Amino acid sequence: MALSFKLLENVFLSSKCHRQNALHPFCGPLLTNCISKLYSSYRRPGTSPDNTPLWKMNFSFENGVDWIKKNFGLLKKELVDHVKGPEGRGFEEYFLEQTRVVWEFRSQKDLDEWVVSSDAEIGGKSEAYLKLGKNNQTALLFGTLSTEAPRDGETGYSGYCAIRAKLLKGAFDTKKYYDWSNFNSLYLRVRGDGRPWMINIYTDPYYSHQKDDLYTYFMFTRGGPYWQEITIPFSKFFLSSWGRIQDDQYPLWLDKISSVGFTLGDKADGPFQLEIDFIGLLNDRAHTEEFAYEKYERNPKA
Amino acid sequence: MNPHANMIIMSSLILGPMITITSNHWIMAWVGLEINMLAIIPLIAKQHHPRAIEASIKYFLTQAAASSLLLFSIINNVWNTGQFDITQSTNTMSSTMMTAALTMKLGLAPFHYWLPETLQGTTTMMTLILTTWQKLAPLTLLMMINQSLNTSLLVTLSLLSMMIGGWGGLNQTQLRKIMAFSSIAHLGWMTMILTLSTKLTLLTFYTYITLTTTMLLTIKLLETNKMSTAMTSWTKSPMLNAMMMLNLMSLAGLPPLTGFMPKWLILQELTKNHMTIIATTSAILSLLSLFFYIRIAYYSTITLPPNMTNYSQQWRHKNQQKPYLPLMIITSSMLTPIMPTFMMIM
Repeated sequence: MALSFKLLENVFLSSKCHRQNALHPFCGPLLTNCISKLYSSYRRPGTSPDNTPLWKMNFSFENGVDWIKKNFGLLKKELVDHVKGPEGRGFEEYFLEQTRVVWEFRSQKDLDEWVVSSDAEIGGKSEAYLKLGKNNQTALLFGTLSTEAPRDGETGYSGYCAIRAKLLKGAFDTKKYYDWSNFNSLYLRVRGDGRPWMINIYTDPYYSHQKDDLYTYFMFTRGGPYWQEITIPFSKFFLSSWGRIQDDQYPLWLDKISSVGFTLGDKADGPFQLEIDFIGLLNDRAHTEEFAYEKYERNPKA
Repeated sequence: MNPHANMIIMSSLILGPMITITSNHWIMAWVGLEINMLAIIPLIAKQHHPRAIEASIKYFLTQAAASSLLLFSIINNVWNTGQFDITQSTNTMSSTMMTAALTMKLGLAPFHYWLPETLQGTTTMMTLILTTWQKLAPLTLLMMINQSLNTSLLVTLSLLSMMIGGWGGLNQTQLRKIMAFSSIAHLGWMTMILTLSTKLTLLTFYTYITLTTTMLLTIKLLETNKMSTAMTSWTKSPMLNAMMMLNLMSLAGLPPLTGFMPKWLILQELTKNHMTIIATTSAILSLLSLFFYIRIAYYSTITLPPNMTNYSQQWRHKNQQKPYLPLMIITSSMLTPIMPTFMMIM
């Protein structure tokens, strides 16, 4: 039944719907500059809807062939990596590693793995940009934070900027996850301006009622020319949903990590800067805490 | 959990498969399956961790879909044959749909995707119940209707399960997921011989329950969920760690351990029925599972100091003695020499 609704939605050629959605499931790869919408037809707020008429779409058979080659290549790599070991690396390497660099910023390709967002999407006036730092060795996130709320009659608060790593995609746009179960701490080498940031870890749950769940902790930066090496144990991350800290706290499970993000929302108007050298993982053998937050029974019986 | 709720849930969990096993009427069998499914859902989600909730929803959706398909096939069978007797399910299309529904409930390939995720999201004890007790009712129904099942379809599903069970478990590091793929592979062996000898299926099932129970109780006692923590578990109980290696070899089907017995008998039965190529293929596919069992045994038992591991020692909690575990370890290792007794019983 869900499939029939989806098909009806796709073929309903009204001026208000996206006409190309009807074609995407069948010939999406053939269209030039086509973004896969296999997961949803979500359009990011602030971006204009794409109402390109059918006769202006540029179908390219070469695009389809390239898509097939790329995805079968990825599939072959996945099959070979499956034999090698977890995440394509041997078991000895998996068991013996104590540190791992997950994201580093050395080229534009590394920057393209991140998405920058701000409250401009909801009509706010903050700005955020991401570029390569000096000598292409770091990433520089900079911009201006503005807590002025948009005048739409609904929004009461504003003022945030964020970056988030794009989700990993496998062959044929299947979801892939990081397995960080070998490590117990997040390691960041950053240089900030004294502002407090929030680090969010997204575990991409299977069902949509948990899609807003994030594991969050704070990163306090110092201003100044010296680099800061921050180690945050995963046991410190607390569960929040839609920005609200949950009463029932649970530890972060590290076998299925999807994305990491940084958010600035300290209600201080003005410019900001955060330079990131790399983001890595650490197996700190001195850290034995399993979970930092105890669960107390509410309304305990006497 | 509230003791009253716990009592109702546990009694329903036991009652459901009992109803299914002892019924001749299809609707009663289906009711037993439903009671069983509904009883285990709160147990899977007992921790209330987001992953446990996700596991329980996945379990519920898959089992509900399988139940609805089973009910549809039952109604179809009644429409064609005019009766609800389980042993008289002779309609071909109904049998095929029943096969699909029951294999979905069991977690056989190609309907296996829910099993590793569900087992990973829940506790070790629930993993034990899901891999042993929950297989009882669907497998019993398959055995009851075995005469009307399509042998080719079952053999295909079995080979696919063995392949996927072996291939999927290859680079896993979480022990519960490894047990899930082990379960898929073993179910493949059980269904392979279903149409030829239900007694062998039953023997394989009992052996599988013994081995899996021993393994999961060992994992629970050692408080280890990952291969990395299994590497330091020898400090808690060196003897149990050594026995775990034997149990893993038994799961792999190496002689002269217990796990070899059902595999040997199945291969013998297949060869007697001129299915030599299938027997050879099954034996070769079991090598995939053997690889990851040996890997766990190597990293947990054979790798010892002075080869230092990368992992710090775990907290040592008060040891929860399980007095029946030694008996289970003996049963899971030493039954092959008394195989003639089983042959006589069968």
